[in-house]
Amino acid sequence: MNGMRRQVGMAFSWLAVASIFASAQSDLPARSILKGAAVEYLFPEQVTVPAGKASDITLHFRIAPGLHINSHTPKDEFLIPTTFSIPEDAGVRLSKATYPAGEEFVLPLDPNTKLSVYTAEFTIQAQIVATVGNHLVEARLRYQACDKNACMPPKAIPVAIDVIGK
Amino acid sequence: MKRNSIVITIVLFILATFAWAGWANWEYRKQAAEKALAATAQAELVPDTNGGMPQYVSPLKGKPAPTFTLEDLGGNKVSLASYKGKAVLINFWATWCGPCKIETPWLVELRSQYAAKGFEILGVSTDDLDRDDKQKLSDEKKDIARSAQQLKISYPVLIDGATLSTPYGGLDEMPTSFFVDRNGTVVAAQLGLTSKADIEANIKKALGE
Repeated sequence: MNGMRRQVGMAFSWLAVASIFASAQSDLPARSILKGAAVEYLFPEQVTVPAGKASDITLHFRIAPGLHINSHTPKDEFLIPTTFSIPEDAGVRLSKATYPAGEEFVLPLDPNTKLSVYTAEFTIQAQIVATVGNHLVEARLRYQACDKNACMPPKAIPVAIDVIGK
Repeated sequence: MKRNSIVITIVLFILATFAWAGWANWEYRKQAAEKALAATAQAELVPDTNGGMPQYVSPLKGKPAPTFTLEDLGGNKVSLASYKGKAVLINFWATWCGPCKIETPWLVELRSQYAAKGFEILGVSTDDLDRDDKQKLSDEKKDIARSAQQLKISYPVLIDGATLSTPYGGLDEMPTSFFVDRNGTVVAAQLGLTSKADIEANIKKALGE
């Protein structure tokens, strides 16, 4: 009887391993399509803030190597600024966003035009006010990325934060 | 013993079913991803055998340029077909594109240099247009016109170029240019900022020189 239980137990262990293998395999093609994202949200995934009070959180982002994005205050009127937003009715309100100063950047073929950009990693200080409860906030970062020779169309990525208002 | 065998057989059957389901799911997703990529006719960067920068290889090269009809800044319909018999450079650009601003003065000069030989440029803006909001749409058109004026663009500027994304290989980066010969065939394509000399060489190719 014990032998049978052991065999059944082993069989179910293999079953679990096979399920994990199957689900991991199913992700492969999707990942290869997404690998071109210029900006990635790093952290925090979860914050706990006092309900009803303005609270500062620091959001960390990373830009893919070789690319830059316009700062929040680009120097040309036609360039698209980097902006962070939280949708209405999220249970969390963005009362203020403080962006880092851009670094000066010039394109090799146009050394006279100075651009204001972010590269590598950067942070945005967001001041939020949350109601009581657990809010899964799908905020957005809108940016427009370029390298030295070409620019990609403007894009908005989701910034998912679990905000707990206590 | 007989009961053990039955249980093991059932478990093995379940295991085999899961393994098959996982494999089938993976195959399905792989094929769907390949179809999606093929549908957008993605271009490739191919390493230069001489050790230089990777070369842009468009899947449209050697094929008829996809036809289109777009509005110009004055609201007139402009169709690629109406330029048959001319060599045409289709230059996709955007107001937010810094490298486009470096390239555009070269295009203006080259256009005036080769126009007499039957050469034209169509500057196709890929700026987003908000068709549902009349006021926004009007402002967006004005911005494109203002940017074109600042860049002293002397050739036709067409709008709503993002709608040509699929037939023209994704248009994932600006500027992107296609050089079309007098028969309407794409003879060369350029992705990103290259050089005035490269553009001129491709114009000559389109003119059959």
